[in-house]
Amino acid sequence: MNRTTRIMFGLLMLAFSSAGFAGADDKCLTCHESIGGKAVDLFKRDVHHAKGISCAGCHGGNAQSDDMEKAMDPKAGYIGVPKGDDISRVCAKCHGDSGRMKQYSSHLPTNQIENLRASVHGKLSTNGKERIVQCTTCHDAHGIVPVKNPGSPVYPLNIVKKCTQCHANAALMRTYNPSLPVDQLDKYRTSVHGMRNAKGDAKVAECASCHGSHDILSVKDTKSSVYPTNIPSTCAHCHSKAEYMKEYKIPTDQFDKFSRSVHGVALLQKHDLGAPACNSCHGNHAATPPGVQSVSKVCGTCHALNADLFSSSPHKKAFDDRKLPECETCHGNHEIIVATNKLLGVTSEAVCSRCHNESQNVKGFATAKAMRGLIDSLESREKRAIALVNEAEQKGMEISEAKYKLRDAHQARLESRTMVHSFNEARFQDVVNKGIVVSASVSEEATQALDEYVFRRVGLGLATLAITVLAISLYVYIRRLERHQAMGGK
Amino acid sequence: MNTFWSRLYSWADERVKLGGLVEYMGKKYVPVNRHSIWYYFGGVSLFLFIIQVVTGILLLLYYKSGELLAFESIQFIMAKVRFGWLIRSLHSWTANLFVLTAMIHMFSVFFGKAYRKPREITWITGMVMFFLALGFGFSGYLLPWNELAFFATKVGTDIAGAVPIVGKPMMVFLRGGEDVTGATLSRFFGFHVALLPGIFTVFLGIHLLLVQRQGMSEPLSHGDSPDTERKTMPFFPNFLLRDMLFWLMVLNLLAILAVFFPWELGKKADAFASAPAGIKPEWYFLFMFQTLKYIPGKILFIDGEVLGILVFGLAGFLWLMVPFWDRKSSRGETNRLINYVGIFVVFYMIILTIVGWIV
Repeated sequence: MNRTTRIMFGLLMLAFSSAGFAGADDKCLTCHESIGGKAVDLFKRDVHHAKGISCAGCHGGNAQSDDMEKAMDPKAGYIGVPKGDDISRVCAKCHGDSGRMKQYSSHLPTNQIENLRASVHGKLSTNGKERIVQCTTCHDAHGIVPVKNPGSPVYPLNIVKKCTQCHANAALMRTYNPSLPVDQLDKYRTSVHGMRNAKGDAKVAECASCHGSHDILSVKDTKSSVYPTNIPSTCAHCHSKAEYMKEYKIPTDQFDKFSRSVHGVALLQKHDLGAPACNSCHGNHAATPPGVQSVSKVCGTCHALNADLFSSSPHKKAFDDRKLPECETCHGNHEIIVATNKLLGVTSEAVCSRCHNESQNVKGFATAKAMRGLIDSLESREKRAIALVNEAEQKGMEISEAKYKLRDAHQARLESRTMVHSFNEARFQDVVNKGIVVSASVSEEATQALDEYVFRRVGLGLATLAITVLAISLYVYIRRLERHQAMGGK
Repeated sequence: MNTFWSRLYSWADERVKLGGLVEYMGKKYVPVNRHSIWYYFGGVSLFLFIIQVVTGILLLLYYKSGELLAFESIQFIMAKVRFGWLIRSLHSWTANLFVLTAMIHMFSVFFGKAYRKPREITWITGMVMFFLALGFGFSGYLLPWNELAFFATKVGTDIAGAVPIVGKPMMVFLRGGEDVTGATLSRFFGFHVALLPGIFTVFLGIHLLLVQRQGMSEPLSHGDSPDTERKTMPFFPNFLLRDMLFWLMVLNLLAILAVFFPWELGKKADAFASAPAGIKPEWYFLFMFQTLKYIPGKILFIDGEVLGILVFGLAGFLWLMVPFWDRKSSRGETNRLINYVGIFVVFYMIILTIVGWIV
C-alpha cells in the first residue's frame, strides 16, 4: 500500500465513521439487540443497515464505544430521537449530498429534500413548528427498504394505503383544507387503475404516478402535474407508451387525438381552463371509460342543453335500441372536431347520412336535408350582414348599433346548432328564423349606411361645386369691381 | 328690388342713424403690400369661430353631458341625427383649423411687429383669445368621453398639477376631485359651452373694436414711405369681398375634410382600463408634451417636469408681454432679436410636433 493509497483509505474511513458507518462493529445495535424492541428488528431489515450505516448515522453518538455513557454522549454528536424537521434534516445529511450517496453506490436523486420543502407537504403544519410531512411519514423510520421492494410502504401496491392514512382522515385533512375531498381511496378502488392495483398490478397508476412523490404541488399550481393543462400529458405518460400499454390492449393514440380535438386545442393551445381534460370525462381518482349509456351524461355536464334536447328527441330510443353511444356516435370521442354545418344533412360528409338515405329512414333523410338548408341559409345571410357592416365601418360610417345586433345573429346560429339535437324541423326553423330576421335587419342598416356614404360623397361634390362656383363668381366680381375702380369709377 | 332695399335702408337709417357708420366704413382703407396675405388670417379665424359657435349650438341640441350618456349621445348624433355626422365632424375639424389659423395670425402679427404701440391691447386681447382657444380645445376634447380623451385629460391635468404651489389645487379644481371622473366631464362641459365662450366674446369684441378703430398695422419698412406712395384698398367692399373669397375656400376645405376624414369616436372611456399605448394630446399641445418627455427627471435640485412647466410658463408670459419689452419696434426701429426669437419658436414647435407625432 503506497502513501497515496493509505491517505485515500484513511479519508474514506473518516468519512464513513462521520456518517455513522460502523460495519460489523456496531455497538449500538449490539446493546439494543440485547434490550430488544421493534426498532431493532426493523432496522436489521433496513436498507441502511445493509449498507453498513449504524444507528449513529441518524441518532448520532459513537457507535464504536460499548460504554453507554460515551456512546450516547451529546459531545459525541448524540441527538437522541430526532423530532419535527430534524428528522428530514438527518435524512438530508446523506440524501441531499451526492458525494455521500456515491460512497454507498447509490444513484438516488439528491434533490428530494428540496422538492419536499417546495411541495404542498413542505408547508408548516398546524402546530406551526414543523413541516406537514417528514421523510419518515411515508418511508417509515427503521424498516426502510427500496421503493421497488414490495415491502416498502411507498411500493405501488402499498402507496395508496400510505397516502390515505392522512388523505382519508377527514378530521386531519379538515385542519389543513376543509374543502379537500377525503374519498379518493373509495373512488380509486372503483377505477380501472384501482381495481387492477388491488389485484396486484404494480404498473397501473397510483397516487404518485399522477401527483408525483416528493414534489407534489397543489392542483391549483400551474406547475402541478395535475393542473388542468398538464393532465393530458400526465395521463399520456403511460397511455401513450405502446410498449407499456401492450398488455392492456387499449389504444395509445388518445393524447394525439385529443391534442387535435376542439377540446385539446382549447385547453392545450388556448389555455382555456374551462375546456375538458382527460379527467373531465373519465373522472380522476375513479378514472374509467364512460359506458355507452353514460356518454351523454358525461358530455352533458358541459353541453347540458344539447344533452337534454337529445334525450327528448326520437334519436334517444333509436340509439338505445342499437346500443350506440349517444354523443360519440356523431362527434367521436378523443378527436372531437369543431362541429360545422357539414356534420348535418345528407351529403357524404354529413353524419346523418350514415343511417338516413333516400331509401332507408326516409323521414330523417328529409328532415336532415331541410335542416341543413336552413342553417346554410342562416350562415350565408349572417356572412352577408357581416360583410356589409365591415364595408360600412371601413368607409368610416358609424354602424356600432348594427354591429352590436350581429351578436344576436351569431347567437341565433349557435342556438340553432344546439337545436339540431332536437332533430325537430319546426323547432329548428323557429330558431333559424330568429337569426335570419336579425341578419336581414343588420344588412338593411348596413346598406343604408353605405347608401348614406354615397349620398355624402355626392352631397360633398355638389356642395363643393356650388361653393367653388360662388368663389369664382366672387373672384370675377372683385376683379371687375377693382378694374372699374382703377378706371376712376366708384 | 332696389327700391325695396333703399326703403329698408331709409327705414333703418331714420331710426339708428346708419349714415355715420356707412360713411366711416366707406373711408376705411386697408394697406396693400407684399405681406397683405397675412391680414386675411384674422378674418378666417373669426369665420371659423362663427362656424364653431353655430355647429356647437347644433351639437348642444343632442349632446348629453355625464359619463353615462356623453359617449352614447355623440354616437347617436353620428349615427341617427340627420347630418349629425357632418356637424360633429365640422365642429372637430373647425376647432383644429381655428387653432391653426389663430396661430398663423399670431405669428404674422409677431413677425410684422404689429403689436407695437399703439396696438398693445389688441395683441394682449388676441393672445388671451388664443389661450382661451387652447382651453376650448382641451375642454372640448374630453366631451365625447372616449378612451383617448379620458387619458389625454388625465395626463394634461397631471401636468397642470405639477405646477408648484398652485398646481395641486388647480388640478383638483379642473378635475372636480382627485381623479378624472364624471365630475370632470361636467365641469369641462360648463367651461366649454358657457364660461370660455362668455369670456371669449368679451375679448373678441374688444379685439374687433380695436382693429376697426386703429386699422391694419403696416410693416415697419413701410413707415418711411410718403402717404401718396402707400398702396391701399377700401375695406368695404374690396377687402371684405376678398375676405369672403378666402372664407369660401376654407369652407370648401372643411367640407372635404369632414366628409373624407370624419372625426372618429373611438371606444368609450373606462376608468378601470389600462391606458392605451401612445397616448398623445392634440397636435397643438404636442411640442410641449414632447419637450417634457425629453427633460431629465431631475435638474440640479428641481424636478425636471416642474422646471419644464415653469420655463413654458415664463416663455408664454414673455411672449404675451412682447409689446412692452420690444421697445425698439415701438420706436420704429428694426429689432432683429424678435425675428430670431420668432424663427426659433416656429422651428422648435414644428420639429417637436413632428417628432411627437412620429415617436
